[in-house]
Amino acid sequence: MMIFDRIWSFFQIMFHLASDPLNMAILFGSVILGIIFGAMPGLTSTLGVALLTALTYGMDTSLAMICLLAIYVGGTYGGSYSSILINIPGTAAAAATALDGYPLACKGEGGRAIGLTTTASAIGTAISIIFVVSISPLISYFALQFTSFEFFLLAFFGILISGTLTSPDLVIKGWIAGFLGLFLACVGRDLLQFYPRFTFGIPELEGGVEVVPVLIGAFGIPQIIQVLKDRFQIGEAQKLQRIMPEIGTVIRNIPAIIRSALIGVGIGAVPGIGEDIAGWVSYGTAKNTSKHPETFGKGEIQGVLASETANNACVGGAQIPLLNLGIPGSPPAAMLLGALMLHGVTPGPMITFEHPTFISEVAAILLLASIAMWVSGMLLAKQVVKVLRIPTQIFMPIIGVLCIIGSYSLGLSIFNLYLMLPVGIVAYFLTEMGYPIAPLVIGVILGPMADENLRRALMVSQGSFMPVFTRPVSLILFLIIVWTIISQFRFYRRFKTKLMDLILRRKSCETVFDEDTVDK
Amino acid sequence: MMEKDKLRKADMFSGGIICLFGLWIISQALKMPMKDSWGGVQNVWYVSPALFPLFVGAMIMLLGALLIKIAIKDVGLKAIGNVFGWLASKELNRFLKSPSNIRFYAITILFFSFVYLYIARIDFFLCSVLFLMVFISMFYFYDDDLLKKMLFFYLVGIAVFIGYFSVGLPALLEPTLPFASDWLTLAFIIAYCTYTWTLIRSAPALRKKYRTSLILAVTTPFLIGPIFKYLLLVPMPTEGLIVAVMDAIWYWEF
Repeated sequence: MMIFDRIWSFFQIMFHLASDPLNMAILFGSVILGIIFGAMPGLTSTLGVALLTALTYGMDTSLAMICLLAIYVGGTYGGSYSSILINIPGTAAAAATALDGYPLACKGEGGRAIGLTTTASAIGTAISIIFVVSISPLISYFALQFTSFEFFLLAFFGILISGTLTSPDLVIKGWIAGFLGLFLACVGRDLLQFYPRFTFGIPELEGGVEVVPVLIGAFGIPQIIQVLKDRFQIGEAQKLQRIMPEIGTVIRNIPAIIRSALIGVGIGAVPGIGEDIAGWVSYGTAKNTSKHPETFGKGEIQGVLASETANNACVGGAQIPLLNLGIPGSPPAAMLLGALMLHGVTPGPMITFEHPTFISEVAAILLLASIAMWVSGMLLAKQVVKVLRIPTQIFMPIIGVLCIIGSYSLGLSIFNLYLMLPVGIVAYFLTEMGYPIAPLVIGVILGPMADENLRRALMVSQGSFMPVFTRPVSLILFLIIVWTIISQFRFYRRFKTKLMDLILRRKSCETVFDEDTVDK
Repeated sequence: MMEKDKLRKADMFSGGIICLFGLWIISQALKMPMKDSWGGVQNVWYVSPALFPLFVGAMIMLLGALLIKIAIKDVGLKAIGNVFGWLASKELNRFLKSPSNIRFYAITILFFSFVYLYIARIDFFLCSVLFLMVFISMFYFYDDDLLKKMLFFYLVGIAVFIGYFSVGLPALLEPTLPFASDWLTLAFIIAYCTYTWTLIRSAPALRKKYRTSLILAVTTPFLIGPIFKYLLLVPMPTEGLIVAVMDAIWYWEF
């Protein structure tokens, strides 16, 4: 009964939102802006959400969420344009799409590929919404049983797993980035005793490091430097033909689309991992389960569908930990968390009590955004492709001005800019040396939660760590953390291989023994 | 990202810096109250504000050390000697003067001057036009020699502005010449545009790019700025000559 009530309330909210022309204008405008951001190599949906957060400051929460979620959905999908047409992923999330998308475009099937990815992306987002609506109450219910130890371990796990999975080089670098983020979160007066930490007598640092300038600096500045320093040039785009997808192809691929959507939701729900991982995992799964894996990389439509469905389904998946636990599921979701806090909404287990319809509202916005994305994709694809002709040397300086005015406008503080720029430069060097940026940002966001909950937990237990081992959820989280860490070391892999060898040998011995007995 | 071999060599140094950074965090955290009283509250170690920074510092130090260990294992101790040899050689000089590094200096100089020198002192619209004009023209012309010349001209301008602000001329000039800093910026924009024009006037392809740069540099702040200032009611970081003119038009008309 409760589920039906929720579905009914979901549709009511959706129709209420859709009936306002202003909402629809903002929705379509933001989706198109997101598609342009995603399509332009060098601009990402995270940066789009970050820059738009400044513009939504004066809006009411509902309108701001329409704006931000729409640019997120549009940005994640938009990356496929440049992947398919110029073989350069517009966003990291669309990197796997280029493998088969560009060969398809070279064969003269670019329009077909874009039409199918648009439909698959919309289906992916729609499937993820089912999970946002149905799983959220369960997670909220469990999260209400969490004590401070669980929240500390959850925040710590989020940073570790994000570091583990997003690191382009050594896993250890992802963890270092996460801890650097945690250090930034320590700056300012601590939440329990208001003791000034690492403030160096600077009054602006007393309130702590503002999240949004750090996010804009960490994602925007390195991007601008990389693109301009390395003289990045956009290649000639392949021509677009018919964009309307063939219904038959979509229906034939429905099982693959559903599987990819489930992968996307699952990966999105893991704290701190983005759409790019979802795209790659889904692509890999599609290839491994295909009857013709040799066709992948040569223009296989299933490859394009797999990565695009998963990265868009990840958008919905990322909302699950964000809304119910206050832990962002992806870098753009981290930005959304900052925006929600600016609008006075604190995501977490209490959200269902403080804002009872908020999760349904987010789900309704996501569904509307996926519809707007499909419509815009079908109608405007040929026009959007024209933005790929704009030289990066022109729009990157403009993005620079947007980063600056965006960082400033959130707190009306020039100090935010003084902070944003060094963070951006350090982030650039870290990126160059193979450190991922997402864990750093997740660390800044989850730092206060980890710090406060660790000390609160120890206060309750009088300095004892025993509740970690006596509370089942804590113990599970602790074991997962320990496994995440030790699984990265060589001794663990050696031990695992030996153990597997031992088991296999025993099994083969048993088989031989059985065969011998049968022979006798 | 760098190649794997270079990355490992760089890891030795970044690991060392990270290790020292962790040590510094620990040293700062140890100055925080652990068992003493703060704000009338008698501390115990587990409620101390030092607890979390100590944990973070220790982890950063440990991970930095591990990174060094991995790097040494991969490329060997000899690589450190090679890196020091490279640092002492002429190769370093050549590397620092490479075109891509000059482009990096240009970008960072532009950002640093915009944020730390202009934005708090000069009208937002004017400093944005200057930033965009210099930034777009430097990179859109796609010529490293031109970029060097333009960067040098811009650096001279920065030196003039630093001198102008450090001597305290704005306060002296303001009573006789309102918006003195803005007029100076306007003069610098005109000077930069004229200088750039003299550099590219013989190349028709660049002349077109010059026009595009100029149009974008002027129109962009006037598209972005009013949205923030008049629609979102965000006051500009510094409101000077142009904002005064725009205010006069906006409030006269509306």
